[in-house]
Amino acid sequence: MRKLLDGIYDVSGLISALLIAGICLLVTTQVMLNLITKTGLTDMNLTIPSYADFAGYMLAASSFLALAYTLVRGGHIRVNLVLRVLPAKLRLAAEVVAHMLGAGVAGYATFYMYRLTLESYEFGDMSSGIVAIPLYIPQSTLLTGLVVLTVAMIDLTVQIIRSGEPVGVEQMNTE
Amino acid sequence: MSDIVTIILLFVTLLVLLGAGVWVAFSLMLTGALGMLLLSNAPIGPILATTFWGHSTSWALAALPMFILMGEILLRSRLSQDMFTGLSPWLKRLPGRLLHVNIFGCAIFAAVSGSSAATAATIGKMSVPELTERGYPTNMVLGTLAGSATLGLLIPPSIILIVYGVATEQSIARLFVAGVLPGLMLVALFASYVIIYALLNPSRIPQDDDDDMPFLDKLRATGRLIPVLLLIAGVIGSIYIGIASPTDAAAVGVVLSVLLSWANKSLSWSMLRDSLMGATVTSCMIAFILVGAAFLSVSMGFTGIPRHLAAWIADMGLSPYALLAALTVLFVVLGCFLDGISVVVLTTSIIMPMILEAGIDPLWFGIYLVIVVEMSQITPPVGFNLFVIQGLTGIDILRIAMAALPFFLLLLLAVALITLFPGIATYLPSLMDG
Repeated sequence: MRKLLDGIYDVSGLISALLIAGICLLVTTQVMLNLITKTGLTDMNLTIPSYADFAGYMLAASSFLALAYTLVRGGHIRVNLVLRVLPAKLRLAAEVVAHMLGAGVAGYATFYMYRLTLESYEFGDMSSGIVAIPLYIPQSTLLTGLVVLTVAMIDLTVQIIRSGEPVGVEQMNTE
Repeated sequence: MSDIVTIILLFVTLLVLLGAGVWVAFSLMLTGALGMLLLSNAPIGPILATTFWGHSTSWALAALPMFILMGEILLRSRLSQDMFTGLSPWLKRLPGRLLHVNIFGCAIFAAVSGSSAATAATIGKMSVPELTERGYPTNMVLGTLAGSATLGLLIPPSIILIVYGVATEQSIARLFVAGVLPGLMLVALFASYVIIYALLNPSRIPQDDDDDMPFLDKLRATGRLIPVLLLIAGVIGSIYIGIASPTDAAAVGVVLSVLLSWANKSLSWSMLRDSLMGATVTSCMIAFILVGAAFLSVSMGFTGIPRHLAAWIADMGLSPYALLAALTVLFVVLGCFLDGISVVVLTTSIIMPMILEAGIDPLWFGIYLVIVVEMSQITPPVGFNLFVIQGLTGIDILRIAMAALPFFLLLLLAVALITLFPGIATYLPSLMDG
């Protein structure tokens, strides 16, 4: 079970990273095409259709799929100023409450993202660019990310309650 | 329930959530949801979902992960060594000598990286041991490093300006360009301070005896810096001239920084993977806070609180100067407990209507906000630069904060200067219109 969960977080993190690399390649390619157009070697205006839309969808997918990966690595910012000075028992209680709240919000957001995605699917909503794609496709990447985040939040909550001490991720901000 | 009670209740809720260690993004969402619950009949869940979707897919925001990635790659290349060897032969001639390496090194690195913590870590890793070994006063070594590293926030490409631009729908290109002159002004202020210090305390600045390098060697040492300088000029220049959007420039910047690290033989698969994963985590963290803040903004719009606050401020008849003075105090206090990005997104959710009401230019305000956030980076108890330097040197955070105090005051001076002469920030972007 442990291995499976960690595996899921790692894989979604890896996909996020590849998406960022993908955005880089996509945008760089378009910049190259712009340069070629400027040189006048071709009369055509070389543009990857809807590339800005696709970059946006890839960005959203990357941001949401990395949520759980970032969480378990302590990458999400939280204020631990108060927590650090609390006595151990109180700190544990605060940690449990914070994690349960996080799991609650993540679950709530997941549910409504599911409804949004389902609506887009049922109404057949399409993106507005030159290349129109069904909106439920990029939306379901956000949904997937939120599902994994919810699982990770619950996972961390259970770990804390079981072990009776805050999980070993000492929050270090990377700002 | 009367408005003022609700406002206080919401503010207290936010502070309690943040204080209890609830993640910043979740705290923003919970506070927004509570506000909507109390003051409107709008459906919370569907609005949350549409806000997530609408605010995570922006083309402008795509610049964020790529600029972070560019910084991560250059951070892992041999940049910090090159910076020291390339800068020191020239800066030795200024009063204060190698202390200026911290300032100019940070300024250059700030231009390739958007983060002040990364700037402090990269430059400090090299300069702190070198300078301490040569007998430079510890206070000045730490102070110049802590102070100058905050330039990472202001000198473009700046992560925090991207966040501000996306949150307030300002042009990121114009914000970047607006950050250039204030950034250079800060470099000049910091360098002048070191020069004055050195002239007043000549005995504290070691006059190391190592014979002057031949001119050609100097050039050779600096030569390694030239590719990085070209990269910076290319990235900022192309945005300024308008041939590339920040997102375009960021993507090309990543490719060029990979080529650069390949050329200086620091490129490897593991280095590339670490950079990419690091960038993924950082940009995910920021994106999550951004959607949380976007939801808070939307919900505040439903509650009407920002409008009321703006009207309230207008009724008080505060001059813009008095308003800015009050806000500066508020931000410095907030910045003692929150990181810079959280301060910026909170501001934009709640304070923006007030700023517009007071007739303050949002472009200028972005630059002002970033300098104030820079100040908060070097104030205890939560100053990220202080933590980074503590991690680097093992010196107590309060002592580092004391060493950084003069630079805090210089930042305050900079805030006063751009308030009196707003053109420092707005002149360059105004040229872009033509």
